Amino acid sequence: MKRLYKFLSLVFVCSGIVFYSCETTNLNLTKNPNALTPSQADADFLLNGIQVNFGRLVEDLGERGAQLTRIDYMSGRDYPGVYSPSGFDTDWRRAYQGVLNNIRAMQPIATNASLTKHLGMAQFIEAYTMVSLVDFFGDVPYTEAVTGINNLNPKADSGASIYDAALGLLDQAIANFNAPALGTPQIDFFYAGDFGKWIKAANSLKMKIYMQRRLVDANAIASFNAIVSSGNFISNTADDMDFHWAKSDANPDARHPRYAADYTTSGANNYESNWLMGYMDRNNDPRIRYYFYRQVDGMPGQLDVNGNPVPPDEQTSQCSLTPTPQHYLAGGFTFCGLPDGYWGRDHGDDDGIPPDGFLRTVVGVYPAAGEFDDDSFANRQVNPGNGGGGAGITPIMLASTSHFLLAEVAMVAGDMSTAKSHMAMGIDESIKKVQAFGSGLDPDADPTFEPSALAIASFKTAMGDAFDNAATTDDKWNVLAQQFFVSLFGNGIDAYNFYRRTGYPTTLQPNIEPNPGTFIRSNWYPAAYANTNSNATQKSGVSVQVFWDTNPPSPGFPLSN
Amino acid sequence: MKTKFSGFLALLLAFMMQITFAQEKTVSGTVSDDSGPLPGVSVVIKGTTHGTETDFDGKYSIKANVGAILQFSYVGMETQEKTVGQSNTINVTLKASANVLEEVVVTAQGIKKSKKALGYAVSTVKSDQIQERASGDVARVLSGKTSGVQINATSGMSGSGTNIIIRGYSSFSQSNQPLFIVDGVPFDSGTNTPDDFVNGNSGSSRFLDLDPNSIASISVLKGLAAATLYGSQGRNGVILITTKDGLTGNVPKKTEVNVTQSFFFNEIASMPDYQNEFGNGFDQAFGWFFSNWGPSFKKDGVAGWGNSINPDPTKGFNPDGTLAHPYWTASAATGIPAAFPQFQGARYKWKPYNSVPNFFRIGTIASTSVNIRGASSDGNVSYNMNYGNHDEKGFTPGNTLRRTNLGMGGRAILSNRFTVNGTINFARTDFKTPPVAASTGNDVFGTGSSVFGALFFTPRSVDLTGLPFQNPVTGGSVYYRQNNSIQNPNWTVHNAQFSQFTNRVFGSFATKYDINDNLNLTYRLGLDFTNEHNTNYQNKGGISDFQETVSGFYRTWDNNNTIWDHTIMLNGNYKLNDDMNISFNTGVTSRSEIFDRQGVNSSGQNVFGVLRHFNFNTQTPIQFSSTRNILGALGQVQWDFKNYLFVTAAGRNDWVSNLSTDNRSLFYPSASASFIPTTAIDGLKSDKFLNYLKIRAGYGTSAGFPTGFPIASTLNLNTRAFQDDAGVNTVTNTTGTTLANPNLKPEQVKEFEVGIEARMFKNRANLQLSAYTRKTTDLIVNRPLDPSTGFTQTQTNIGEIHGEGIEADLGVDIFKAKDANAVGWNTHFNFTANESTVRRLGQGTDIIVFAGFSNLGNAAKVGQPLGVMVGSRIKRDAQGNALVNASGNYVEEFGTFNIGDPNPDWILNTTNTVTYKNFNFSFLFNWTHGGDIYSSTISTLLGRGLITETVDRLNTFILPGVQQSTGQPNDVQINNSSYYFSNILFGPNELQVYDGSVLRLQEVSLGYTLPKKMLEKTPFGSLTFTASGYNLWYDAYNTPKGANFDPNVIGTGVGNGRGFDYLNGPSSKRYGFSIKASF
Repeated sequence: MKRLYKFLSLVFVCSGIVFYSCETTNLNLTKNPNALTPSQADADFLLNGIQVNFGRLVEDLGERGAQLTRIDYMSGRDYPGVYSPSGFDTDWRRAYQGVLNNIRAMQPIATNASLTKHLGMAQFIEAYTMVSLVDFFGDVPYTEAVTGINNLNPKADSGASIYDAALGLLDQAIANFNAPALGTPQIDFFYAGDFGKWIKAANSLKMKIYMQRRLVDANAIASFNAIVSSGNFISNTADDMDFHWAKSDANPDARHPRYAADYTTSGANNYESNWLMGYMDRNNDPRIRYYFYRQVDGMPGQLDVNGNPVPPDEQTSQCSLTPTPQHYLAGGFTFCGLPDGYWGRDHGDDDGIPPDGFLRTVVGVYPAAGEFDDDSFANRQVNPGNGGGGAGITPIMLASTSHFLLAEVAMVAGDMSTAKSHMAMGIDESIKKVQAFGSGLDPDADPTFEPSALAIASFKTAMGDAFDNAATTDDKWNVLAQQFFVSLFGNGIDAYNFYRRTGYPTTLQPNIEPNPGTFIRSNWYPAAYANTNSNATQKSGVSVQVFWDTNPPSPGFPLSN
Repeated sequence: MKTKFSGFLALLLAFMMQITFAQEKTVSGTVSDDSGPLPGVSVVIKGTTHGTETDFDGKYSIKANVGAILQFSYVGMETQEKTVGQSNTINVTLKASANVLEEVVVTAQGIKKSKKALGYAVSTVKSDQIQERASGDVARVLSGKTSGVQINATSGMSGSGTNIIIRGYSSFSQSNQPLFIVDGVPFDSGTNTPDDFVNGNSGSSRFLDLDPNSIASISVLKGLAAATLYGSQGRNGVILITTKDGLTGNVPKKTEVNVTQSFFFNEIASMPDYQNEFGNGFDQAFGWFFSNWGPSFKKDGVAGWGNSINPDPTKGFNPDGTLAHPYWTASAATGIPAAFPQFQGARYKWKPYNSVPNFFRIGTIASTSVNIRGASSDGNVSYNMNYGNHDEKGFTPGNTLRRTNLGMGGRAILSNRFTVNGTINFARTDFKTPPVAASTGNDVFGTGSSVFGALFFTPRSVDLTGLPFQNPVTGGSVYYRQNNSIQNPNWTVHNAQFSQFTNRVFGSFATKYDINDNLNLTYRLGLDFTNEHNTNYQNKGGISDFQETVSGFYRTWDNNNTIWDHTIMLNGNYKLNDDMNISFNTGVTSRSEIFDRQGVNSSGQNVFGVLRHFNFNTQTPIQFSSTRNILGALGQVQWDFKNYLFVTAAGRNDWVSNLSTDNRSLFYPSASASFIPTTAIDGLKSDKFLNYLKIRAGYGTSAGFPTGFPIASTLNLNTRAFQDDAGVNTVTNTTGTTLANPNLKPEQVKEFEVGIEARMFKNRANLQLSAYTRKTTDLIVNRPLDPSTGFTQTQTNIGEIHGEGIEADLGVDIFKAKDANAVGWNTHFNFTANESTVRRLGQGTDIIVFAGFSNLGNAAKVGQPLGVMVGSRIKRDAQGNALVNASGNYVEEFGTFNIGDPNPDWILNTTNTVTYKNFNFSFLFNWTHGGDIYSSTISTLLGRGLITETVDRLNTFILPGVQQSTGQPNDVQINNSSYYFSNILFGPNELQVYDGSVLRLQEVSLGYTLPKKMLEKTPFGSLTFTASGYNLWYDAYNTPKGANFDPNVIGTGVGNGRGFDYLNGPSSKRYGFSIKASF
């Protein structure tokens, strides 16, 4: 027995050394040392995160909208297959987890600390986010959303009710912007702390909401006009709402995503849209050198800048050797290439990717802060750091858009002259905005290539004439719509909505595929929603229309697909 | 009785000694059994260490005094004793032991049990099946050697991770990897990778730190009844390893030295069968593309290069069949034309280059192992020492593995009823590899680089090894593509690397105190500490869509993993009466796991090639830590009756530290029984037919505890989330993406198994059969949440998985060598079939994709096999016809449709050993039947036009199906490249899935043991030469032959994903020889 005690004391001593402070027997190790706890949250830091997530979300949805409306190039011959459900997972996550849930985390802190500006910005962002989700997907969760463990399968709300809620949020936002605050946000990526501009933005967003639902809301135009008459909306480019990107290329990569994709060591990754480049080139649009940077002076199978033909080249442009499809011939659309070195792709073209990264036309100084096109061509091929280094913008609410919406109101009312004058103002604001991105941003560019006042004036005259000379109301709509689309380069959300709302323009380059399936009237629900939420059912197809779209079903509407 | 007998013996001895006093003489004779002379029988003079063995003819000779007692012993035979008398000849006939199956196996918590008493399956693998192998990875060596265990390599790279699954998957968010117990204490067998499987999944599984040559035996506890005492840690089965250091009980008293030296060659086994008729381009036109659908290497014909003769020397072909050198015509912005003035105007020959085979090398493996053991003359103190060195060069340039092992173990039986024993091991493992990441035929799609990302589909006309890979001015990667958009694999080898340098100490200290003859008390301490120093870098100048990769990065971090394990147990054994025994074990145990990661991530390299953090622009910290404690109280009682009925009941209660108080404790019981009819029923046992029969049944339960901190709500802080206009980095808070679940409970597993074990035909045939069903409930699931909840995932308890399977082991001595000149042939089969089905998911969920991507991965779907592969499929109409679009390609339907079942139907292994004279020939053949694989390797080789299947490319295809727009039968012709490129490679996911059935010659060896006579005048006790080969041949017979694809790959890395290959897993074949000598 004595020896047993000896043994036990030996065991005791041994384990005493290693059981030190009961380290190995402590059963209360539930706290995660690798993160903060929610109680340590900071309203400024949360709002910073909300803004960055919102900026990325709008840029992403803006690219999708632009691709569908030929402002950007879209790859895919089959509309239902162009964007797979999982392709929208990131946006869905950003909207709900990145934006909405963080807003919910910030609200009690901001409310307790009387941070009204924080709350107002959050309400604006929430309204814009929810409205955009409705525009892209239709009915989506809102009232049951972001309640965490209380509801793991939030039900969708009707798009119409979300629109109503957004208007309410914007009224609260305006009230908050007007209210005194105990502190202002650390960073305001949009207006640098100018809350007068935030109020204008909130009113402009209300105008946009009314306009979007004008087909289903008899009072929409009256509500729209009420704001117009207050005058407190974005009517001048100086008040435009943009998200600002920065130059840092890594850790963090804060560059404009389109810049990051195109200004790489192996050349561009995106194609630009042949429809938009061709339309702007034909009309001598003064914005074209800001929007697009050409890396070569001629494309295979086309005339170069000097009017000399460039031989077709199967290696760099496979389609330069293939015949024009019948439906392109019949509609008189450009096929495969454009003159003057504008090297893009046709809508829907899904050919393999040739090694043309240093040949194709890339996004220019507006809005991505790339290079200004000064006819340098191959001398200034894309490379990281070139041009404005990617410290560009994602336009969100523009003065030009306000004018184009006013023009739309006039068109609907049959008031052609008001429509024309708002179109002209829209063009004017857009050119003003774009011109601010010239050689100031791209220090290597030759500023003499910036358009002269005369060139701008003659362009504006030409557009006015085109509107006046248009034979039919449809043609006038087309002039207006095409100019609206040009002004929306950088964010196609409003273009996608306008296109489904009005059906114009009818002159867009159709899909290279003669039977591309029905146009995307709303997108597939993201896989992250349809596959994991038991109250979600994937929609029957992309032909499902959102609540404000009472136009005829696809195909047949919109026309140019 | 005992005393009487020894007294009688003493009397007898005394009588004999009187007449033969101190008379030493040579005694010789033959030892045989009922089938003839028996070689290798141990002949020892009782009470001494003097002894010898019978030779091949069963003959022995030994010097002994008259009156000495000779002991003749042989495994499986009854030991006989003969007293040396007048005669100089003593012939002995040994009888098969009635207790032939008194095999003692190590069971849970190191408790040794007679195998016949076990109510559950335990497989034992002996050291000769593990040693002298070409792989230094104990799991791969174990592959195919026991039923119920499925072992898959993540790839054939040296030092790559290994996946082990015992009795199928029973969970899908929790680990399914078994517990490793080395010398009685837990051993970390985790796999740490630099990133996820998309961005880089190289990383060794930490059982790589064990030297297989130092292992004495391995027991595999497959079922829950077997593993109950290990608690939740044992739920996936247990690999119980006894090293030679830990086996110090039966050490010979004379010091014995064993040396093994092996040398192997290591080659890529899965080299595709490339075609040599067409080169780089598309639609039979030349271009510096990714694809190989270009013109023919012949001048004439519709596809001949002669059609592309171009007067412009920089475009197309010259009439002599040359092209402009790609470094001449590359875009100026790549810097290539300026950096390589020597290629201005240079011509490039249009011909097939053997780029991919030339890229690889023949690696070598040299391994040395020394083992020394001995004991004090009274046998009370014994020791063992091991030294091992393993030096392996992979077949991929830049891939190496070096390991040094030092180990020591000893035991001392002290005079005061104490026994102490302990082991201490040191392992130093240095693993280096070029980066490996996922690719689907367009190079990598994540943020990392991969040496294989664009390698296997190098166009035939691209001279990978002949083209310079580095820009002499910038150091950056250069390659053939005109915008330099592919990172040259050779550049990757020279400028990017992941390395894991591990220093590990592990060992155990145990002490036993015998309270009395029936009771003892043991205390065991286990310590396993690993420092894994990781370095991941790439010099600037790489090609990526990710600027941080282009700018160069350097990441260094240390993973420190510690496992402390204490166990105190009271063990007892009582004889109740002549027929009944009872034994019990009871104790408490604690296990503490501490993981700590510290490091720095730098990006933006300044001076090319300098890998120090000061040379980089920005630094961010790498830090992560995790601690979890598990306490257990355990007990086991075994009752046996008349040596033919054994009943065991066991239970354990675990308390875990990372769950809420209400949910942290769980009790799991088990019960098992074993019945030996051949002992119980008279007349059942017969010498010629049934020698032994055992019937067993077991019921066991276990639990799975979560890892990490699942009930903690978190908030992220990022100091570098963004940058504002002024260039100041933005600090953000964001809510954690994982929703905390304070109600999380452990998941529960229950298993019922039955089995029989039999020996027949004079012990020539040996059969073991097990069948089991298991049910997992309250599964801890990393349930993906709809982000509209505000979170993307949560850990929750849902659903039910039902598993069932059978395992069979059959060994037959087809020829039993009667003498040295006869042929012996033993054949052994093991068979495994397992099926896990998802019965329920619950909470309104009908699918959870738990591995891979949300739209292409392994899923749990109700009514489907666990892990069913889901992805997009060909869209079909109501009649099931495939829909074809206007271009003539299949219409893809997105969603999570079933595209394959990665679980094999069954696995059959057979080992055959043929002995003849001093030769020993054996081979292990594996047949895995079924199990689908999504293979990017195959689809890329087809889709990019590289392998022999794609030679017939001048005809057109019409895909069977109907036109989507009209519903009419499809009549759109597409060419070969569209068929393969747009459908097989980049079309619906289901077209990239192949049946992964494979036949494999896994091991083959031929050994020769020098006859003892030849060694008499040498210092050697024995000397054996063995030539062997591994994976010398395989045939995945349902995949395209030209791809030569080896389905033994896991593109998603070690874990619960399977059936996916992302161009990251060439396999290896190894061959060489080894020498084993003992002194």
